[in-house]
Amino acid sequence: MVNFLKRVFFVDVLAGLALTLKYTFHRVYTEQYPTEKPKLAERYRGAPRLNNDPETGETLCIACDLCAQVCPEDLIVVGSERDPDTRKKVLTTYTFDTSRCLFCGLCQEICPTNAIELTQDFELATYSRRNMVWDRTRLEQGWDRIDYGADRETASGRESSRYERKTG
Amino acid sequence: MDSVFIISYVVIPLLKIAVIVLILSGAIAYLTLLERKVIAHIQVRLGPMRVGWHGLLQPIADGLKFILKEDIVPSRADALVFTLAPIISLVPAFVVFSVIPFGPPGMLEGVLRWALSPFFSPETVQSIVESGSVSGGFVTDINIAVLFVLSVSSVGILGIILAGWASNSKYPLLGALRSSAQMVSYEVALGFSIIGVLLIARSLSLVEIVQKQQQDQLWYIFVQPVAFVLFFICGMAETNRLPFDLPEAETELVGGFHTEYSGFRFALFFMAEYASMITASAMATTLFLGGWLPPFPSVPAFSFLHLVPPVIWFLLKVFLLLYIFIWVRGTLPRFRFDQLMKYGWKVFFPVALGNVLVSAGVLLRFI
Repeated sequence: MVNFLKRVFFVDVLAGLALTLKYTFHRVYTEQYPTEKPKLAERYRGAPRLNNDPETGETLCIACDLCAQVCPEDLIVVGSERDPDTRKKVLTTYTFDTSRCLFCGLCQEICPTNAIELTQDFELATYSRRNMVWDRTRLEQGWDRIDYGADRETASGRESSRYERKTG
Repeated sequence: MDSVFIISYVVIPLLKIAVIVLILSGAIAYLTLLERKVIAHIQVRLGPMRVGWHGLLQPIADGLKFILKEDIVPSRADALVFTLAPIISLVPAFVVFSVIPFGPPGMLEGVLRWALSPFFSPETVQSIVESGSVSGGFVTDINIAVLFVLSVSSVGILGIILAGWASNSKYPLLGALRSSAQMVSYEVALGFSIIGVLLIARSLSLVEIVQKQQQDQLWYIFVQPVAFVLFFICGMAETNRLPFDLPEAETELVGGFHTEYSGFRFALFFMAEYASMITASAMATTLFLGGWLPPFPSVPAFSFLHLVPPVIWFLLKVFLLLYIFIWVRGTLPRFRFDQLMKYGWKVFFPVALGNVLVSAGVLLRFI
């Protein structure tokens, strides 16, 4: 009898409608991604960066090659030469292949001078595979990439990425 | 005399029709946006946000896209019927609005006097304003309006059946068959649910039905709640809306009757669906919710509600019902086909019939 009355007065349907009405005013989960960047975790590991000494502007890397040795993917290549005067190793080239990187963060853990660091930048997509290998200038100065959020006009044209035209 | 005739029976009705068609087209376009927005928020999404502020220009972008898309007629299809079908389903949905009253008779009297007085003598203006339904808030008031609406709106389903047949393809045909079965089982209950109102109003004219609700100081939803619920459910089935959208049933029938349609012909079907949603809401408003009347039309304490123009009240109620249409779509899953037939014949039809008998008995015995 109760069940019959429930069906006659659409109790379940009304309960469903009440639920959907409640969710209509629920906080929306959607992120407006390119215009609105997500808030990342504090220790998020993203794009690599090779730090310079903020006072002298010289690189912090002492070319000890520890990052290259600890890397499980073997994707870091450190090039160096010995300065004949000071008998110190000097960094010449440094490449970091982001296409193979698993962002484990071992390189930044082991680095004795905090030279290599994984930043919070996660926008690593690019149009060519070769472009995913970051060289020393890109690691130090960042990547001149298309910013989809700030300027929607250039977002449609690939040509707007000056960096890619130079290298890719 | 002649100019009076032309103005009051040709020019002014044509102007009214133009205004209604324009407003209706705009309403259909923005109803799609409303639906996408409401359903998105029910699902805790945002819906269209890119075109214009919060997607306000999305309907225009969609319309442009439909026009620019390739219009395909399948090679084995019956080209003539294939072309006619979307038109047949769209036109009736618009035609129905010729009898739906947006406002009371005499609503436009002041406007007409103001517009006509510089050009005609006062006597001519008087005779224009007083002739026919020129100054009413409706295109025409015919004494069989309810019948007219029922018969014309069922022609719309003919378009769906023709589309399914002419496409010469399996899924559209299945959709069309479902549509015809659905029409047969729901139109009966729909018709019977209106009879209760007709018995009380003693009229088939939609204008008079609203005026009777003013006289009785009561919207008919309070006298005929069962009929209202039935009318609304059957209206949903009639307009092929979820949970009764079996002729389309994307998950089972690809797209149902419009599987083979593309470009602007598809857009016509889409518009027809939304137009008939508006039709069903407008009919429910007129029959059960007091049309252009504010709540408590004759209670002096609520007379301030008359300050809002009657058209606004009408549109508000229609909007409310449309929102419920969308809300229900966002809530309920689709019925299985046998469930649909079961509810149509075994539940709604007997209940509607019982409602008619009980109302008739009460009216005979007590009033």
